[in-house]
Formats: sequence, structure tokens, C-alpha cells
Amino acid sequence: MTAEAASPAPGTAGPGAAGATAGARARRTGRWPPTLIAGSALLLFFVMIAIAAPLFGNPLHQDLLGGLTRTGLPLGISRAHPLGTDTLGRSELARLAYGIRTSLIVAIIANITSITVGATVGLLAGFFGGPLETILMRLTDVGLALPYTLAALVIAGLMTAGLTRVIVIITALFWAYPARLVYGEVLRLRHRGFVESGEAMGASGITVVRRHLAPHMFPLLVTYSPLNAASAVVFEATLSYLGAGINPPTASLGNMISDGQDALSYAPHLLLVPAAAILLITMSFLLIGEGLKARNPDLARVSWLGR
Amino acid sequence: MARTLTRRLIYGLIAVLGVAVLAFLAEFVIPGDPARALAPRAQSAAVLENIRVQLHLNQPLLVQFADYFANLFRGNLGTSYVQRQSVASLILPRLVYTGWLALAGVVAEVVIGGTLGILAALYPRVRAAVNSVNLTLLAMPEFVLGLLLLLIFGFRLHMAPVTGGAGPAQIVLPALTLGLIGAPWYAQIVADQMSDSLSSAYVRTAVAKGLTDRDILRRHVLRNVLSPALTMIGLDLGSYLSGVVTVEVVFGWPGIGLLAVQSLQNLDRPVVMATVIVGAVAVVVFNLIADLLRMYVDPRTKEEPA
Repeated sequence: MTAEAASPAPGTAGPGAAGATAGARARRTGRWPPTLIAGSALLLFFVMIAIAAPLFGNPLHQDLLGGLTRTGLPLGISRAHPLGTDTLGRSELARLAYGIRTSLIVAIIANITSITVGATVGLLAGFFGGPLETILMRLTDVGLALPYTLAALVIAGLMTAGLTRVIVIITALFWAYPARLVYGEVLRLRHRGFVESGEAMGASGITVVRRHLAPHMFPLLVTYSPLNAASAVVFEATLSYLGAGINPPTASLGNMISDGQDALSYAPHLLLVPAAAILLITMSFLLIGEGLKARNPDLARVSWLGR
Repeated sequence: MARTLTRRLIYGLIAVLGVAVLAFLAEFVIPGDPARALAPRAQSAAVLENIRVQLHLNQPLLVQFADYFANLFRGNLGTSYVQRQSVASLILPRLVYTGWLALAGVVAEVVIGGTLGILAALYPRVRAAVNSVNLTLLAMPEFVLGLLLLLIFGFRLHMAPVTGGAGPAQIVLPALTLGLIGAPWYAQIVADQMSDSLSSAYVRTAVAKGLTDRDILRRHVLRNVLSPALTMIGLDLGSYLSGVVTVEVVFGWPGIGLLAVQSLQNLDRPVVMATVIVGAVAVVVFNLIADLLRMYVDPRTKEEPA
């Protein structure tokens, strides 16, 4: 997590940004850029695995006799166990499918919650100004200065293990950057005609924010959300790996990797299988993010968690 | 300039204090009794009560809060519950180890990222390849990359030690992990800035003036690349010094991140507080240094950034 904390470096777009001219062309013709197509296809593949997870077997079924070699080692790839078994003789394929399901659920829910909280803070601070702005934006500074992993471990201590805990942690840490993004955007639009005419017509502040400003945040947030989702997937795995997210025996890519670490010298597939899954899921979100930026070059500055 | 600096310092101080207050309150809500963690097998309530009195845990939250922050302002970070020594003396050697790792990591990412970026800028055909390397590295979680390097170079090729520790041999893989994870950001900045610069009017002028390629690269191109790269280096040093928790856990590197994780498990509140505060200070200070350096290298950025 090199993205830990820190304010965004002005004028730095995220790496891998596709050329603006190709993007402008794609936008005019309404075609999807190749990155967007590839990312969406990859994500769709994982969504289907997540939905069909029960078809791949029971992730909790331990088979200490049939699922291990005679000397008690995990099985390699075979017809009965397409991705082998783990140290407890559980099917690695079944665990993988459920791990992917966990990752995607976290990516979707935590993405929505963190961006909603952040956008609300940014909108209120940017529109109303005054003491509210000072309080909210200093709070955002605090949020950005928090050492993420440590803060996550502290919050983890407050709650019982499970999906809710992971989502709460990610929301508590990931709202600050979108808050700053939205705040900057509101400041840019604050004195535009459509906002001031809304006010002049006597609409209340909240109404102007809700009806006139919020819709303008949409492209920004849609572009940011796949990057945020990628961070959420990585963070869930990190938390579960550190024992502060989703606890065994529930399958999560992070705790599968943690199991794989213990078997590194004799069963490397227990690391490689979940590692490949997490890499590809994150990559699908990043490709979608790059594709959206290519379609909308004005938003090329939207970057990954403050970088 | 001086006003900007003062304002930034005050904001930074507020942010650090906010982090400290949050951490203090959070630690109190964490279920678990430090006295019981210290004496897990103690049978009598009197023993536990005795420990609580010694650690001032029997006092109300507000009193403990006031005590802690009064001490903090005097520069006293308290005493570790578990190690029975001052937190400052406990944390300092760990900070040194984290400092070495942070430095090695930043050097690695600048070298790897810079090379990738320069290649992409000078040879357009390499650019697509560099972009896919970037994307793969970006998508890779830190601890996964660490474990993969450990598997390849440690367990398969026997080129690196697989046991924890803190020596020149043990720093290679964690530093390489940080370097590879951070490299795409540098590669991107260097590639973008260099291509912009190479096609700029001032480089064309320099060519027309008859300067050698080397002089043009050094005097005109690299100077423009330096400024955003410096900002990034500052940000990275700050965030790495706040503890590279996952990398330190994967490789057993005895830095501040590993200390923080262990102290959290032991409910060693003063140590956890100190690691969180040191981390926040590092982030804020290095952000500031990065901005100052950038103003120095590139005077155009002296105006207050939005």
C-alpha cells in the first residue's frame, strides 16, 4: 500500500493512462476503449464465478484421508481436485470460488459506502463553507494522515471478525480521498450560473446541493469507483492476511494466502492460486478505471487513493 | 512563503493531534484487559488489581487521557506495559530499521521506475510493454508480491534467506518488494514528463543552439522530471516511515510496523500510541519537505497549490 496517506501530488495522473487522443476519438464514436472492454470482460468472468460458487463444491469440507497424500501433504492438480487441496484436505477450487465471492462483495459494498460518505462530506464542506468546511476538511486531513494498516488493525480490535468488520474498516479509511476530490470539484462549480440561479430562486442549500451539485459529481465518482474498488479488494486481502479481516474457516483470498505462506516450501500452489485471482480481480478494476479515463480525458487526473 | 509554511505546520500539527486522540479513544474501546494480558494465569483478583493500579488503569478515562497528553506535550511517550522500558528507547531502534528499509525501498523504486520511464520515453515501441508491466505491478498487493519473491528467490533459487532478521542480506527482498510496488508511479511520471519535455520548444531551441544530447538531457530534460519525482519521493518516505506493516510482517523485518502489530496483540497501549503518532508525524513532515523541495527545484510552484 504505497498509496498510504498523503495528499495528492498536483497534476499527476495515474500510471498507465491511455493516450488522450485515442480516448477523445473513442468518446466521439461512442466506442468502448480496449482497456474498458478487457476490464469489463475479466470482471464479468469473476462475477460469474462468484455467483456460481456453490457449484464448485463445499469450501469447508475437510477430507483428511482422501484430500491429502499418504504423508499428509496437500494434493496437487488432479481430476478430482482441479486446483489441488489445501493443508486440511479442502478443495482449493471451492475455496477460491468463495474467496472471489467475498472479495467482490467487499468491493461492491465498501465502494458504495466509502464513496457515499466521502462525497457527502465533500459536498457539504464545499457548498456551505464556514466552520462546517473547516471542521470537515481538517477531519479529512486526519483521515489522509492516518497510517492505514495500523488504523485498520486498531478498528479491527473493536469488532468481531467478518464481512461487516471489513466493510466498516474500509469505509472508515477510504472516505477521505473521495471527500477531497469532491470538495475540489464543488469549489470549481460553486459560483457557476446553475448553482447561483438555483440559490437566487430561493432553493434551500440542501436542495441546491442535492438537485444541482450532486449530479455533477457523477462522472468524477464513476471514474474513481473502480480504482477505489481495486484498493478495497487489496485491502480486504491484506486485512484477512493479517488476521484482522475475515477469519478462517470462511474462505477469503487473504486468509488463503496466509495458509499458503505456511506451506510455501512444499505446496506453492496454495500461494499461487489465490495470488493469481487477486491480481486478476484488481487488474480488471484498474483496466475499467483506465478505460473510463480514456473515455473522459478531463478526468485523467483522478488517481488511485491520493497518488 | 513563510506564511504558507506556518499554516502548513499548524494544519499538520492538528492532523497529528487528531490521529493521536482518535487512536487513544479507539484503544480504550478495544475489548480486552491489558492487566489480564500481562498476567494471563493470575488467579487472584488482587494481583490483577495491583497491575491495574501500577499502570493507572483504574483511573477514569478522562484522567488517563489528560495524563497521557500532558506527558506527550512534555515529550514523554510513557513506558511499555510489556517490556517495562521507556517507549522512546523501545521505538528508536525499530525506527532505524524501518528507516533503512524505507530508504532502500525508495532507492529501488526510483531506479526501477526511472529506468522503465526513460525506456518508455526514448523508445516508443517499448512503451506498450512498460505500460503492461506497470499495470501488473499496480494490481499486485504488497504482501502477495513479497511472498512471491520469497518463493522464487528464497525457496526455489536459494538466493535469499527465508528466515527473518535484519541484515544486509535480509533487506534485499523487502526493499525489492517496495521498489517494484512503487515503480509504476515513477515510471509514469518520468515517461510523461520526458516525452513532454523532448517535444517542447525549449529542447528544440537547445538542439538548434548546438548543445550535445547529453547536455540537453541533463540541463533541460531531467530538471523538469526531477520536480514531480521529488514530491513522490517525499510522500513515499513519509508513508514508509509510518511503518511498512505488511512487508515487515511478511519478511519478519524488525521495524516499527512489526512492533505495532505485536503491541496491538499484547494490548501494549503506550507502544501502539507511539507507533501511530510517529507514523502520522512522518507522513505530515515528509509531505511538507516534499513541497518545499519542489518549490526550490521548480520556482513556478511557489504559489499555494489549491
